[in-house]
Amino acid sequence: MAEPLSCSRAEELLALAAVGAVDLDDSTELDRHLAGCHDCRIVARQNAAVVSLLPVALEPAQPPERLRRAIMARIYAEADGGSASRSALRRLLDRIPASRPLTAVGAAAAAALVGLVVWMNTGGRSPAVAPAERFTVAGTTAQPAASGTLTYDPSTAQSVLTVRGLAAPSSSPGAVYEVWLVPASGPPVAAAFITQQPASGTWTAVIDGRVTDYRMLAATVEPAGGSPGPTGTEVFSADLSRS
Amino acid sequence: MGAGLIGIHSEGTVRLSDEDIVRSGSLSSPEGIEAMYDRYGALAYTVALRILNDEGAAEDVVQESFLSIWRRSTTFDASKGSLRAWLSIVVRNRAIDRLRGARTRERYDVPVELTGAPSTLGDPWTEVAAELTSRRVRAALDALPVEQRQTLELAYYGGYSQNEIASVMRVPLGTVKGRVRIALEKLRGLLAQEQEVEWQSR
Repeated sequence: MAEPLSCSRAEELLALAAVGAVDLDDSTELDRHLAGCHDCRIVARQNAAVVSLLPVALEPAQPPERLRRAIMARIYAEADGGSASRSALRRLLDRIPASRPLTAVGAAAAAALVGLVVWMNTGGRSPAVAPAERFTVAGTTAQPAASGTLTYDPSTAQSVLTVRGLAAPSSSPGAVYEVWLVPASGPPVAAAFITQQPASGTWTAVIDGRVTDYRMLAATVEPAGGSPGPTGTEVFSADLSRS
Repeated sequence: MGAGLIGIHSEGTVRLSDEDIVRSGSLSSPEGIEAMYDRYGALAYTVALRILNDEGAAEDVVQESFLSIWRRSTTFDASKGSLRAWLSIVVRNRAIDRLRGARTRERYDVPVELTGAPSTLGDPWTEVAAELTSRRVRAALDALPVEQRQTLELAYYGGYSQNEIASVMRVPLGTVKGRVRIALEKLRGLLAQEQEVEWQSR
């Protein structure tokens, strides 16, 4: 049977391990030694702390903004169970009543929205594109558990609204949640219907137009087919003013 | 007209501290990952760029690293490890894999619980290490003999094994082991002096 690893030899291996240079052949012995040696565990921790400082000494490099967008677009898409996928958008668009005087998206806008999603998911490497803006969505006392995000893309003037923790409307059969954009003055403008994705339970909507021209976004319970103006209880809202 | 759309219920922008970020479940939320990127994204990119010397490749590695953290967030226990150190390891390893061709050799990874936890083990040095500035760390590295610093860099940024370093530097394997151990001990000593931390003897 091989001799147990001494602390002296373990310290050499721990130093190599901290910088990623130890071979796997030595790992079993090292793990066994660490399991039983408090002092060497301290050394391992201290080595790791020193090595973690090596990058701090580097001249910092600033990553491009597109990197942040690309990462967060994929994470938000995965968080929503892929609701930003092409097929999910299609289902979303199909739920908007054809008789609505203001349709959130027409066929051309739908194609642009799919383009938005594809752009977000592929990291959008155009350096001239303005960064996406995000606004926090919060539930009202009627739906306190609701929360989410409105992500607005200035380059396409379109937004994706995602909300979690929202209970289905129950005021009347076929009731829907209708989303409004509230201007600084004048009546609210109907923007979209928000619908629930079956797989994730997340509620989503796509909104056409420059949402940043408005003071606020809000959603209310409305009868089947929606209303020309808000009539029901407000369930969530987002402040769109930039301060 | 309908019910009043009054009252702003928006929570506004929330800035998360490291403690907020690592609180149980935060790394499972997009907001937690976003806060982590805002805090350490530049560091991650700097490490990847140093290793790969290619902006596009560095961006890919950083993206893959954050996505892997997001996807396995439940495996990180904040009470046992340092978030910055863990992220540095994830990015460094992915960059080395890309540089040297996807795990051309098997690697031993230091357990995450030994990546430098705060004072739970009564080790003040690891606490203060988190506060050290780049100027001080650079000064400590500059104070090392050049062969020790080069050995560290070949290992950490080049991904070379102990045997490969010995071959590149044309020294015995034992010399490589000694240089790394002594270099880390010296850095610890230099940086501890900087912080006037009393060294705990074993």
